[in-house]
Amino acid sequence: MNAASNLTLDYFDNDASLIYGIGNIGRQDDGLGWEFIDCLETVSACTKAEKVKFYQLNLEDADLISYRQRVLFVDASKDSTVDSFRLYKAEPKMDVSFTSHAMSIETIMAICWQCFGKIPEVYVLAIRGYEWELQLGLTTPARHNLSLAVSHMSPLATIE
Amino acid sequence: MSRKLVIDPVTRIEGHGKVIIQLDDNNKVTDAKLLVVEFRGFEKFIQGHPYWEAPMLLQRICGICFVSHHLCGAKVLDDMVGVGYSTHNLITPTAEKMRRLGHYAQQLQSHATAYFYCIVPEMMMGMDAAPEMRNVLGLATANPALVKRVVMLRKWGQELIQAVLGKRMHGISSIPGGVNNNLTAEVRDRFINGDATIPSMAQMLEYAMEGLDLFYDFHEKNRAMVDSFGDAPALDMCLVDDNGDVDYYHGKMRIIDNDKNIVRELDYHDYLSHFSEATEEWSYMKFPFLKELGREKGSVRVGPLARVNVTKSYSTPLAQAALEKFHAYNKGKSSNKALHTNWARAIEIIHSAELISALLSDPDLQKDQLVVTATEAMWTGEGVGVVEAPRGTLLHHYRANKEGNITFANLVVATTQNNQVINRTVRSVAQDYLGGKAEITEGMMNAIEVGIRAFDPCLSCATHALGDMPLEVTLLDAKGNQLDERRK
Repeated sequence: MNAASNLTLDYFDNDASLIYGIGNIGRQDDGLGWEFIDCLETVSACTKAEKVKFYQLNLEDADLISYRQRVLFVDASKDSTVDSFRLYKAEPKMDVSFTSHAMSIETIMAICWQCFGKIPEVYVLAIRGYEWELQLGLTTPARHNLSLAVSHMSPLATIE
Repeated sequence: MSRKLVIDPVTRIEGHGKVIIQLDDNNKVTDAKLLVVEFRGFEKFIQGHPYWEAPMLLQRICGICFVSHHLCGAKVLDDMVGVGYSTHNLITPTAEKMRRLGHYAQQLQSHATAYFYCIVPEMMMGMDAAPEMRNVLGLATANPALVKRVVMLRKWGQELIQAVLGKRMHGISSIPGGVNNNLTAEVRDRFINGDATIPSMAQMLEYAMEGLDLFYDFHEKNRAMVDSFGDAPALDMCLVDDNGDVDYYHGKMRIIDNDKNIVRELDYHDYLSHFSEATEEWSYMKFPFLKELGREKGSVRVGPLARVNVTKSYSTPLAQAALEKFHAYNKGKSSNKALHTNWARAIEIIHSAELISALLSDPDLQKDQLVVTATEAMWTGEGVGVVEAPRGTLLHHYRANKEGNITFANLVVATTQNNQVINRTVRSVAQDYLGGKAEITEGMMNAIEVGIRAFDPCLSCATHALGDMPLEVTLLDAKGNQLDERRK
């Protein structure tokens, strides 16, 4: 995993970039990816990049990212080694642990490369979540992690 | 010593399940079960919400077949406000055709995902191929042009869903008594002719036909296996029109036996008086069956194979030709073979594309009569909706109080309808592929998954946070002691 800890949203503030929030706001902390996008829009950060929010990655996302130079995927993470958030550069990979329910970012990148012969620079912002039940709203610790991630990515932006 | 084999979770199906296969001292399969271990609780979640929120909220059950849930809920709301099929005050032709267009688009993209993403790689690479090859990435390496066409097929379907329902996912177009938008001629022409970003309708039909050709090629090379794998007898059920042909949006529920005799035909508003549901302590998922016949004889299969078994014909030429071939091959009987489901799915991809093509040429889509406005006096407060979702017959049933808040909700999803037959399939495959064997190979394990995936089951629309989709295989002895475990 390639750490990219010094990266900020300025890097994506152009019309060749895409910021892609993954998640389900009806499943508590699974909504972190969408909430991140909402935060950016609330504080008018990174206005030149296109922002999208979807439940899950799918095959056509290989086409979606193929038109971009830079992509930032934002998703919740269950990984206990992620303290609050982790920002890293993703690499295409022949991932064999995927399901049709959740194609991995690395898989989408690999398909993009195989099908279109090009691939954008892709980063992943993984924000630690804790609860995943059928309920609206982030947990308090997840919201705290979101706040840290937003502050890191956009130092001038803060969220309540 | 008897052994218990556990596959947990099953990969490449929607949500999580666990398979337990019980072996005796001679490694003979004595039992096999698909356990559903996640409980969603949407039926409770929706109670207390305003009735009109139900189609918006309940479609969040699924990130794949959300249009079906949305439309099923919309049909319930039509009933509740007094303009549904239960009242005979029907919505306008434009509203129904807009709903159908979204429905067919979703079937196209949902089937394309299941078929090309999960099934075709296995057909082309073989069930015994290394796991890193028998997936869509292996396919992308072997045939990138094919995968590119599949990507564009899905993109086309998703963009059509967005055009019809207002959003790529979890649309908002259907409202009580109709829809809130039509399809402009400009948007229609984009999907017919294609542009720099999406293929044309004609190309979509070509791609759809390619999927069926892949099945024919696989069938030709593996006839014995395809025609014997996962043989699980059951009744077949789907919605049909007055001619006995499948109707994905509305019709009577027709149930046939293996000789295609009609066992029951009913108005879906009467579903509860005909069906009962069994429960098992080892699964959250219920087992519906026809009351009069009991669980053993009265369990039904739904979905592509059931529909292709039930329907007499199709209204579209390419799918009709494929259907005739399917019916002739099975000598006029219903097929119970799990892998014939993939054949049926490939036929339905073509049928969906043709239905979309026909609808795009229908001038009703550009008309402005979108909603039938209900009066307060028409309010019934209760409704039932049924559609043929990609995975099979889907039912929603709600009641609301006089304030309009939901007091009761019952959802019978296709995977629940298929619960009994999926378990029969698992047992059949386990007996054929695992019985009497001293060692459990990757290919044998995958055979079980192939049997389940043929149904494209949606066990839950669970969270999908990073790093949480392993495949665990655990081998237990009769006392529950772990003998072995694999993870991938």
